[in-house]
Amino acid sequence: MELTLDMKYAPSEDVVARVIEDELIIVPLVAGIGDMEDELYTMNETGKAVWSRLDGEKTLRMIADDLAATFEAPPGIIEKDVLGLIEELVRRKIVVVR
Amino acid sequence: MMKQNNSMKIQDFPLWDKLKTRRAVISFDLEITARCNMNCRHCYINLPAGDRDAKARELTPAEISGMADQAAELGAMWVLISGGEPLLREDFPEIFMTLKRKGLLVSVFTNATLLRDEHMELFRKYPPRDIEVTVYGVTRETYERVTRRSGSFAAFWNGLNRLLDNGIKVRLKAMAIRSNFRELPEIAAFCRAHTKDYFRFDPQLHLRFDGKERRNGEIRAERLTPEEVVALERADEERMGVLRDKCDDLIHRDFAHNGCDHLFHCGAGNGSFSIGFDGRFRLCSSLWAEGTTYDLRQGTLAEAWYHFVPRVRALRSRRPEFLETCSKCALVNLCLWCPAHAHLETGELDGVTPHFCAVARARAAVIQKGEGQP
Repeated sequence: MELTLDMKYAPSEDVVARVIEDELIIVPLVAGIGDMEDELYTMNETGKAVWSRLDGEKTLRMIADDLAATFEAPPGIIEKDVLGLIEELVRRKIVVVR
Repeated sequence: MMKQNNSMKIQDFPLWDKLKTRRAVISFDLEITARCNMNCRHCYINLPAGDRDAKARELTPAEISGMADQAAELGAMWVLISGGEPLLREDFPEIFMTLKRKGLLVSVFTNATLLRDEHMELFRKYPPRDIEVTVYGVTRETYERVTRRSGSFAAFWNGLNRLLDNGIKVRLKAMAIRSNFRELPEIAAFCRAHTKDYFRFDPQLHLRFDGKERRNGEIRAERLTPEEVVALERADEERMGVLRDKCDDLIHRDFAHNGCDHLFHCGAGNGSFSIGFDGRFRLCSSLWAEGTTYDLRQGTLAEAWYHFVPRVRALRSRRPEFLETCSKCALVNLCLWCPAHAHLETGELDGVTPHFCAVARARAAVIQKGEGQP
């Protein structure tokens, strides 16, 4: 399925996201997430900003627009980055389409 | 520019560096029961499986959930479910999933004799970080001499094979005790053949949490002599190599706490803690002394961690015998002595324990002389 900015995503129920010491940590709950054993996931500040907006209600375009306004960054670059991040998270089954 | 998300092995995670800079919770042990279906001669905790009083005092899943929430809030990433035998509890799957859903990495210690289809389905779908199984023997005679339960070897064998056949990450370990001493080479070979990453054996036994003299006598009878402990370690090239490589770090005059009367120089209560089956918080799994435990049913983990632990760690000794011996000993890293084990041996946190001392000296002699080197 091709990813577009009009799609809505939410965190998978097969992972648990935690914030420890300002680090966002995503812990796989089930088998088959990730490519290697003992794997955790973390994100940088902007990745965290995307993650916190993934509620299954907002489209990726709405999230990108919000981020562009918040970070005063060009919308085109932000949209590309949001798509890239979500593509990776979908591949790893960390987020699911709604 | 937004970066892609990062995935990485646990040991490479940058969070650990952050946590090292302050006294943070990283992991904890959760003894969900003190009861066990076996009756191992050397065990420091096992109560009978049918002990109604012990069962009645066990934490409920709701209490465990609340304590795990508090632990996660303090930053804990790992939890080890132990016992007793954790699979004795019918609600084990509920407890396991409760901890998993907190985002904790869950390890399990089990004797593998009670594994049912339900457990296997659970572990296949929601893998524990690892499962550690102790191999008491690789023949029925030896295994059941240790466990004192007829049929336990067949149950263990079946359970272990089910774990391995289902691809569950298993770590095997052994206790080196009098009852299995002659079979230890075969036990070690078996463990190394079936364990994925490492095998370890423990030749040092500490006494029981409940201080029962008859059972403590059984544990003492299972202890190997210092010479036997050293002989075992010398026969293990990997273990001996590490000990020799670390010799300068393990035996150092700076470890002698000259002029310091503090009891705790170990890591107890630094980064980890234990929760007992009845909700008692302990700085480590061995520390049961009166005044050093905190009832989490009556208070909070934050109170225990930030206020109670520092008070315990500030305890000092006035016993000349201790201050002139163990307190000043540079062999402390080769010794089982610590305030917790001293209490179990002598009833005092600063008691001197000649058996531990003899083992430490024998180990040091071998390491320093380089005996057994090729």
